Amino acid sequence: MGLGWYIARRVAWSFVVTFIIVSVTWGLLTAAPNPEVQQAAQQAAMAGDNPAEAQDRVRQLRGLDRPLYEQYIGYMTNIYTLNWGWSDSRAQPVTEAVTEALYYTVQYSVPWTLLVVTLGPLVGLYSSANQYSWKDHLATGFAFFGYAIPNFFFGIILLLIFGVELGWIPITYNTDVPVFSVENAIQLAVPVFVLVTGSIGGIMRVSRNESSEYMNADFVKTARAKGVSTFRIYARHVLRPTMVPLSTTMVAQLLALFTGSSILVEVVFSIPGLGRLLFRAIVAQDTSVVLGTSLFFVFVATIGNLLQDLVYTVLDPRISFDER
Amino acid sequence: MATEDSPRFDTVDWDEITSGGGREVTKSLVALGASLAGLAALLLYDYVVVPDRTATFAAVGWGYDVTKLDWLLALSLLFVAFYGALPLYRNERMTRYYWKEFKKNRPAVASLVFLAVVFVGGVFGPLVISSPESELLRQFQPPVFMEIPQNYVIECVGERAAGVCRGTWQHPLGTTPDGRDIFKMIVYGMQISMKVGLIATLMAVVIGASVGTVSAYAGGMVDEVLMRYVDIQQSFPTLVLYLLIIYTWGGGLFTMVLLFGLFSWEGTARYVRSNALSKSEEEYMKASRLSGAGTYHTIRRHLIPNTASSIITDATLLIPAFLLAEAQLSFLGLGDTSVASWGQLISVGRDHLSYAPWITLAPGLVLFLTILAFNFLGDALLDALNPEARAEAES
Repeated sequence: MGLGWYIARRVAWSFVVTFIIVSVTWGLLTAAPNPEVQQAAQQAAMAGDNPAEAQDRVRQLRGLDRPLYEQYIGYMTNIYTLNWGWSDSRAQPVTEAVTEALYYTVQYSVPWTLLVVTLGPLVGLYSSANQYSWKDHLATGFAFFGYAIPNFFFGIILLLIFGVELGWIPITYNTDVPVFSVENAIQLAVPVFVLVTGSIGGIMRVSRNESSEYMNADFVKTARAKGVSTFRIYARHVLRPTMVPLSTTMVAQLLALFTGSSILVEVVFSIPGLGRLLFRAIVAQDTSVVLGTSLFFVFVATIGNLLQDLVYTVLDPRISFDER
Repeated sequence: MATEDSPRFDTVDWDEITSGGGREVTKSLVALGASLAGLAALLLYDYVVVPDRTATFAAVGWGYDVTKLDWLLALSLLFVAFYGALPLYRNERMTRYYWKEFKKNRPAVASLVFLAVVFVGGVFGPLVISSPESELLRQFQPPVFMEIPQNYVIECVGERAAGVCRGTWQHPLGTTPDGRDIFKMIVYGMQISMKVGLIATLMAVVIGASVGTVSAYAGGMVDEVLMRYVDIQQSFPTLVLYLLIIYTWGGGLFTMVLLFGLFSWEGTARYVRSNALSKSEEEYMKASRLSGAGTYHTIRRHLIPNTASSIITDATLLIPAFLLAEAQLSFLGLGDTSVASWGQLISVGRDHLSYAPWITLAPGLVLFLTILAFNFLGDALLDALNPEARAEAES
C-alpha cells in the first residue's frame, strides 16, 4: 500500500470521472431537442411534405428510435473508441478536425504554460522576499494589471497598436509558416504575451501570499541560524511548503484559463485551434464537433486534476496516501 | 470525529447555550427572518396577484418590471447586509481596527470608492436613468473632448469644425453605431455585472465554504464523497458546461448566473478545505471540542471565522472571474443578447476600432478597472483580516 497503489487508484478514479461526465453529456443531449430532427421537420414543412414523417425518418436514420439503454451503450462505445462522428460543417471526421486544431493550440499553449509555471512562483517568492520594496510593488502592479485586464480586450488593443498602427505583427494568423520559424514566433508572440500576463498574476499573488507566511516561520529562522545559504532557504524551506497550496490553485487556474482563453484568444487572433473550432461549431450548429471539442477540454481537465493530485502527494510528504 | 465516543457531550446543543447569553443574535435573526418573509411576500405578490406582462409595482405607479434575477439580487443583498454589514456595525472596535489597517493601503481605498460608485450605479442607475434608445441619426458621436471625421456621422450633436465632429456633454462617452448613448449603456451594464458578480459569488462561496469546512472537519467517508464530487465538477469546466447547455436548450442571464454559482465552487471548496485542515489541528479547535462543543458550533464559530481570510481572498478572486466570464461570453455573442452588458459593447466596437475606438475602449476600461479594484480590495482585506501573515512577514 504505497505510492504505486495510490497512483493506480487515482488513475482509475480519473477514468470513472470521465465516464460520469460523458454520461452527463449524453443525458444533456438526449433530453434536449435534437437540432437535426427540427431542421428536417422545417425543411419538410417548407417543401410541402409531412414534417412528422421527416422527423421520424431522421430519427430512424440516426438511431434515435432505439431504446434508451441501447442508445446510451452505443454513445459510450463510440466516445471511448474515438468514433466521434462526422462533422457536417467541415466535411471531415470529428477526430481529424480535433487533431488538426490541436496542432495550432499546442503551438501557443506549450510556451505559455512553461513560462507561467516557471516564472510565476519565482517572481512571487522574490516579491515576498523583498516585501514592500519598490520591486515588490512593481511585481505586484504587473500582476494586478495582467490579472485585471481582460485577455480578449488586451488582445484587441495590442492587435490595434502593433498590427494595425505599427504593422509589426501580421493581423491574420498565417497557417503556412513552419512551426519553428521566426515568422511563427512573431505571430505567436502577442497571443502568448497576452496569455502569460493574464495567467501569471494570480499565481504570483498566491505564491507571494503563501510564502510570506513561511518567510519568518520557526523552521526558516532555525535554518538561517544554522547558517543555511539564502538560496537554499528559499528553494528548500520556503518554496516547498508554498508549492503545496499553490499547486492546487495553479492547475485549476491554468485549466480554467485554458478553456476560456483559448476560445477568446483564438477568436481574436484568428488562430484555427480548438477554441475556435468549438466556437464555430456552436455557431454552425454542428453537434458532433461541439461534443468532440467539449469532451476534449474535459479530458484535458481530468488529466490536469490527476497530475495536480500526484504532484500534491509528491511535494508534501506530510500527506499520507495509505488511507486514501 | 473526536467527539463520537463521548455522546453525552455530543448531544449538548452548544448554540442554544451561547445564544442564551446574548439577545442580539436572536434579534438579528428575527430581522433577517422578517426581511426574508417580506421578500417572499413580494415575490408571491408578483407571481400570483400581478398579471403577466405587467410591471410589478404598477400599482404604485412605478413601471419597473422585476425579473427573476432582481429577486435573487435582493436576496443576495439581504445576506450581505446581515452577514457582512451588520456584524461590522455591531463590532465597532474591530471595524475601526480593520478600517485603520485597510486605510494604509491607498489603492485599496480608491478601489473601494470606485466599486461603491459601480455598486450604487448598478442598483439605482437603471431606476433613475432612462434606458439607452437607438437613434440611428446620432451614430458614432465622439466622447467629450474627442472628434471624428465628418464622413462617419450623419448628424453631429456638437459643433462641427474643419471637417470633424466634436463631442458634447449630451453624450459624454459618445454613441454606438446605432446611436445609443455609451454612458447609459455602461450604467445599465453595471447592474448586469453586479448581478453576475454578487449572486454567483455568494452562491459559490456559501456552497464552497460549507463543503470545504465540513469535509475538512468531518473527514472519513464524508470527506471522500465530497472531494470526489469536487473532482468531477473540477473536470467539467463551467464554461464548457454552459456552452453545452446553451447549445442544447438556449439560455439567458439567469441560467448563466445560476450555472456559475452552482458549478464553480470547487476551487473555493478545495482552498478552504486545505486551510481548514491545518486550522483543525490548532489548540483552540481542540479546546473547543474538549469543552464539548458540537460539530455545527465548532465549524460555525471557530473553523469558519478562522478560515475567513482565505474565504474572502477567494471571493475577491471569484467575483472578477465571473465578471470576466460573462464579458467573454457576451463578446462571443453567446451570452444573453437581450441585455446590453459590457462585453457586448466591446464586441460592437470591434469592427469600428480604427475610427471610433471609444466604443470598445470605454466599456473595456470600466471592466478592467472593476476587476483591478476587486484585486486591490482583496489584497488589502487579506492584510487587514489576517494580521498574522503580515506580522510574521514584518518581524
